[in-house]
Amino acid sequence: MTRPTAKEIKAIADVAGVPVSPDVAARIANSIGPAFEGFAPIAGTLPFDLEPATFLLVQAPRVAK
Amino acid sequence: MNVHKISTEPALLSLTSVAQAIAAKRVSSREVTQSCLDRITQWQLRLNAFMAIEAEAALAAADAADAALAKGNVSGGLHGVPLAHKDMYYDAGKVVTCGSKIRRDFVATVTSTALQRLKDAGTIRLGSLQMAEFAYGPTGHNSHYGPVHNPWAVDRITGGSSSGSGAAVAARLTFAALGSDTGGSIRMPAHFCGVTGLKTTYGRISRAGAMPLSQSLDTVGPLARSAEDCALLLGLMAGADPEDPTAIAGPVPDYRAAAREPIKGLTIGVPTAFYVDDLDPEVARILDETVAVLKREGVDIVQVELPDQRQLTAACQLVLAVEAAAFHKRWLIERPQDYGPQVLMRLQNGLAIPGVSYLEAMRWRGPALAAHLAAVAGVDAVIAPVAPVAAPTLAESDVGNSPDAEAVIQRLTRFTRSINYLGLPSLSIPAGFTRGGLPVGMQLIGRSFDEAMLLRIGAAFQRATDFHERMPKFA
Repeated sequence: MTRPTAKEIKAIADVAGVPVSPDVAARIANSIGPAFEGFAPIAGTLPFDLEPATFLLVQAPRVAK
Repeated sequence: MNVHKISTEPALLSLTSVAQAIAAKRVSSREVTQSCLDRITQWQLRLNAFMAIEAEAALAAADAADAALAKGNVSGGLHGVPLAHKDMYYDAGKVVTCGSKIRRDFVATVTSTALQRLKDAGTIRLGSLQMAEFAYGPTGHNSHYGPVHNPWAVDRITGGSSSGSGAAVAARLTFAALGSDTGGSIRMPAHFCGVTGLKTTYGRISRAGAMPLSQSLDTVGPLARSAEDCALLLGLMAGADPEDPTAIAGPVPDYRAAAREPIKGLTIGVPTAFYVDDLDPEVARILDETVAVLKREGVDIVQVELPDQRQLTAACQLVLAVEAAAFHKRWLIERPQDYGPQVLMRLQNGLAIPGVSYLEAMRWRGPALAAHLAAVAGVDAVIAPVAPVAAPTLAESDVGNSPDAEAVIQRLTRFTRSINYLGLPSLSIPAGFTRGGLPVGMQLIGRSFDEAMLLRIGAAFQRATDFHERMPKFA
């Protein structure tokens, strides 16, 4: 997963219905870039049969115990 | 009835002690409430810890509590104890600002479950406490209501977002306070202000009626003067709630009993990396001293190799940014000018994260938690610093929406966010002071729903040390 460019961010924000200026888009790209880079080793590697609720299943045995 | 009256200033008692003293009629609720109000009057101008002070109503409620007690009617384990909480817990009929301009006049129509359970135990409302705007800031700055000042050094931050809670508990203005922790917002004020703060397991306490920031990460918890007091509060608030399906059903452990258990023979892990990297030398020294105390108490200390915390932190950022932006989208369209610059900047960040990236971060939570639990299988808890530094100055942390802002935020929250992503409990305890007199906290990180173990270790540490009993002086 690569960090979005300012141009891409401007397009995404427009689609989201909250347009941002080119300056703000550039600032957002700078701010969220490290999160994308930090998560890059995980992105695109997850197995098919995995959904968010798995988290609750991992928590649950402790409660039962 | 002859009773032995207390000899100290009532506001200086612990929560546990003052509740017992009121119940035993050694002090009245009015005396306790007046004592807190006197201290609030003394400190408020200096700290800006309170959003609202409701003196008359608090004293009237105290009188009612005393009258009920005289008739033998006790409402619960905290009968007549005055408290104040972070101004994001809905209290029907009260203004709940959430630290914002947008909700400056918002009157809640419901009462949050956590707050109601404390009311049912007999607590009295002193007012409400300051916080970061919409709980979205780790420093304690607030561009609408001004910063909260650290009572140990008023030119320094309290940490956030539960800034007023940290300052008010430290200065003994309230016996305890509710905070919330989505990325470190209980643990950081506890660390910077020298109080005890419990970030609960995701699902341990109902979030119904608490202002949302990120539904997958938000947790409710107390800041108090000791682990024993946190145990008392957790026992009152934990448990299932039909208003919040994520609040876990099942029996609530006896946390107060757990806090009295010895710790000899337990095993605590010290991370081999990340949490011990790039620490301020004073924080590193206090970590070593904390480990030494635990060893003296009979704890086995081992090293633990945790999964990559940077990946967990990055995943947390993706989830938090998107969920916060989604909650705020309507106001981002209609009232962007009413946000502070930094909060607006951070909310806009969430607009730029694709849905697939968000869901990948959510899907990874289960395997990531499983990997963490496997890594800590041989220990009862992990100990680590809450932050790499003691409280920075207000000036150096007032970065607004500057290009440096995100880096400052990331540095402060470096050791807290991964815990929110994994939904784990973490207890921040006062562990020492810098040579300049600033408090430093350490966090005990446990397994899911094992707050009892953290309270057990924290209370034992506090029986062996006095850092939690020290309080700032009104110079």
